[in-house]
Amino acid sequence: MCLAIPGKVVEVFQDRGLRMARVDFGGTVKKACLEQLPAAGLGDYVLVHVGFALSVVDPAEAERTYRFLEELGQLDEIRMPEGPA
Amino acid sequence: MKYLDEYRDGRVAAKILSEIGRVTTRPWTLMEVCGGQTHSIVKHGVDRMLPSQIELVHGPGCPVCVTPLEQIDKAHAIARRPAVLFTSFGDMLRVPGSHTDLLRLKSEGADVRIVYAPLDAVRLAQEYPDREVVFFAIGFETTAPANALAVTRAKELGVRNFSMLVSQVLVPPAIPPSCSPPVIGYRASSVRGTSVR
Repeated sequence: MCLAIPGKVVEVFQDRGLRMARVDFGGTVKKACLEQLPAAGLGDYVLVHVGFALSVVDPAEAERTYRFLEELGQLDEIRMPEGPA
Repeated sequence: MKYLDEYRDGRVAAKILSEIGRVTTRPWTLMEVCGGQTHSIVKHGVDRMLPSQIELVHGPGCPVCVTPLEQIDKAHAIARRPAVLFTSFGDMLRVPGSHTDLLRLKSEGADVRIVYAPLDAVRLAQEYPDREVVFFAIGFETTAPANALAVTRAKELGVRNFSMLVSQVLVPPAIPPSCSPPVIGYRASSVRGTSVR
């Protein structure tokens, strides 16, 4: 929970009034809430922390950060399975 | 927004180092408050670049480590209740209380589940309407909005079996006034709306 992780928005959808996204973190796709980042849309790279997108980030930097976090072994928690939407 | 290049500019680093050397006129002991900082400092050799008068002490780390023992014991007492489905960030599972930890309680039969986001706990509450789903809401100010939104969401959805054990802590009050403006990391700044540059 300490680190925010960048990922790519691959789908935007509504979940009973909440604007949500599916975000691809290097192959692991997880849901994230876009309510705090209305500007984010399909194809954007966003920084996600505890299930919320916080900022739109530069794609190349997102990729590098992701690799860096992978080196540090910090990506385990996003690889945990999650329940249905 | 970029957020790596700004921190990897050798010229800027050299300038900052030179300035640190200039203003270091007596011994200082500094403590990092985040394990990520400790990792970066050691990995990139920042500790060896600083003037010898500056000693770095590796501090408590993430909010998991500064959660009061009393709150952890409360979490364990709640998680033990048969009607409870206890949810927590994964980082908290091995943190010892006075007698046990969440992982051990889970192995003894308590229903303890790891969630990545507070909204996942709300979803569990919807899936298990006959259980009381409790989320251990720990964290610095960065997790507070996510936790608060989960509460709002539960209310909107009419979910009555969701509650939180709250242990939120603030970073700036722990930083001495002499360090103004407070040094707050990138993520915290994103949440607080503070500029880092």
